[in-house]
Amino acid sequence: MVLHVESVTKRLGEFYLHDLSFDVQTGEYFMILGPTGAGKTIVLEMIAGIHTPDTGIISWDGEDITHAQPRTRNIAVVYQDYMLFAHLTVAENIGFGLRQRKMDRQVIRAATEETAGLLGISHLLDRYPGTLSGGEQQRVALARALILKPRVLLLDEPMNALDTAMRERMRKELARIHRATGTTIIQITHHFEDVFALADRIAIMREGTIVQAGNPAEVFWHPKDTFVAEFLGIGNLIKGVAHRNGNLTEITAGGNVTIVAAAGAEGPVVATLHAEDVIVSKAPFASSARNCIPGTVTELVPSGSTIKIVIDAGFPLIALLTRESCRELELSKNSRVYATFKASAVHVIPAGNT
Amino acid sequence: MRKFSLALTGIVFLVIAVVLIELVLYPPLSALVSSLASPEIRFAIILSLVTSTVSTAICVAVAVPSAYALARYQFPFKKIVSLVLTVPLALPPLVAGIALLLFFGTTPWGKALDAAGFGVVFTPLGIIVAEVFVNLPYMIRILKSSFLAINPRYENVAKTLGCTETGAFVQVTLPLARPGLVAGTTITWAKSMGEFGAVLMLAGATMMRTETLPIALYLNISTGDLDLAVAASVILILISLGALCVVEHFADDAHVF
Repeated sequence: MVLHVESVTKRLGEFYLHDLSFDVQTGEYFMILGPTGAGKTIVLEMIAGIHTPDTGIISWDGEDITHAQPRTRNIAVVYQDYMLFAHLTVAENIGFGLRQRKMDRQVIRAATEETAGLLGISHLLDRYPGTLSGGEQQRVALARALILKPRVLLLDEPMNALDTAMRERMRKELARIHRATGTTIIQITHHFEDVFALADRIAIMREGTIVQAGNPAEVFWHPKDTFVAEFLGIGNLIKGVAHRNGNLTEITAGGNVTIVAAAGAEGPVVATLHAEDVIVSKAPFASSARNCIPGTVTELVPSGSTIKIVIDAGFPLIALLTRESCRELELSKNSRVYATFKASAVHVIPAGNT
Repeated sequence: MRKFSLALTGIVFLVIAVVLIELVLYPPLSALVSSLASPEIRFAIILSLVTSTVSTAICVAVAVPSAYALARYQFPFKKIVSLVLTVPLALPPLVAGIALLLFFGTTPWGKALDAAGFGVVFTPLGIIVAEVFVNLPYMIRILKSSFLAINPRYENVAKTLGCTETGAFVQVTLPLARPGLVAGTTITWAKSMGEFGAVLMLAGATMMRTETLPIALYLNISTGDLDLAVAASVILILISLGALCVVEHFADDAHVF
């Protein structure tokens, strides 16, 4: 069974979605990433049936649901600011969906208690949403959605309003819920931690369309174009000209510096290289890594526990080091260093794609 | 600055309080009580209560859907529609009244209404029509801002949970708009109780027929019967105070959720 979105377009105020196609498998944890204004929320709202596509098809397991009413879809939404009904108690919020189905009062009460138990909020049932913390409100919103056993659960940046520690806990919670219920989840996020912790597959959105979708490793290690690479914060984007040399590709960058890449390509390219994959040393050293390039440190930018080092190697090259290794190497501005990285760490994007 | 502003505030407070209290204390208490019990004032009280309540109910019934449409939907000429709905707010009630009088008194449809037994000109029904015309824009404005303050995503969530569009409105949006609804209804009702200009023009000032409290005040001051005029005023003051308390209470309440 699969949620199938095909060639959907939608114009809505300043947003324009176009050529939007993707599939989500049953039980999958699917994440949508992209800059603000890419139209991510509208995609979720279209799956939920709040908006109807101008053209294109949305289907579930072969059944066309493009024009189905939201209430008939059994697809639940949790927004980032939860949208709890302030005039109802927590129990009434959770039971809201079952009440619409005219279920028996006792059945609703039992289901409410069970779902509240799953989310650890049984002690809050008689409270009003206005008196709850952010984390508690989020659990109530999740319970309100999950009680209907939706075929798809849509989460719109559900952890944005939480602090770092709460976010970590909520991530575990979502992983647990996903395992326990097997619900298909589609989540919008801005945090790569969410992706690494939860996502089976991800899609990158830009200006109203999905530019790349796939499993996270595939997308992170083989970004389709410079936008995806920059968005994912890959660090180094190096322009050059590629020549095939046996199994390897030699890229001439920054005038006369040659980088060796494992991927095959010919002609003008952009090479991507994660800053974490660059080893910095004071002297050249023999290793299995194909690239060892001399350069001068031009900048040291502290960011959290790491320091970003910009090296002039004929082209700007960025490396990420911990503060300790930076101290041990006695790095400072104008230090002469060698940057070492493997040919397989260099991914090559033909420049035609950019 | 502090002393000056505090002193000025104190003076304004005293002026308002003294003026109102002096009015209430003007007639001897026994005269006030007997005036309040007089058939004319009793008639005015009942007529005012009935017409205000009916006109407020009509205002609510019309304003809730209209305000919702203005807050949520896009439609052609929305700006102009919105502006025209607001005009009676800025219009002197006398002007609104004379416009209504000409509309119902001289046009074929006004005469047709009259022939069908729904006479509006110089009748108690005219009181209701005048009050609705003058107060509906208030109600729509207050409710519109209430609805605008409610994120449409509440309705989206309700719909995904199984509500129809109407169901989402009735079960979620309307209860969330309750403070605005209560405040708007109270203000509309209080303004109807005090409406004079438009009522005078359309319904006339016929003793014991279209004599609401403000009309009673006007008629009795014209004939020099100060005690009855004051009695009508006292009731109008009490109504204003009561309405103010209700609005203040719910204005605070609005922040509870």
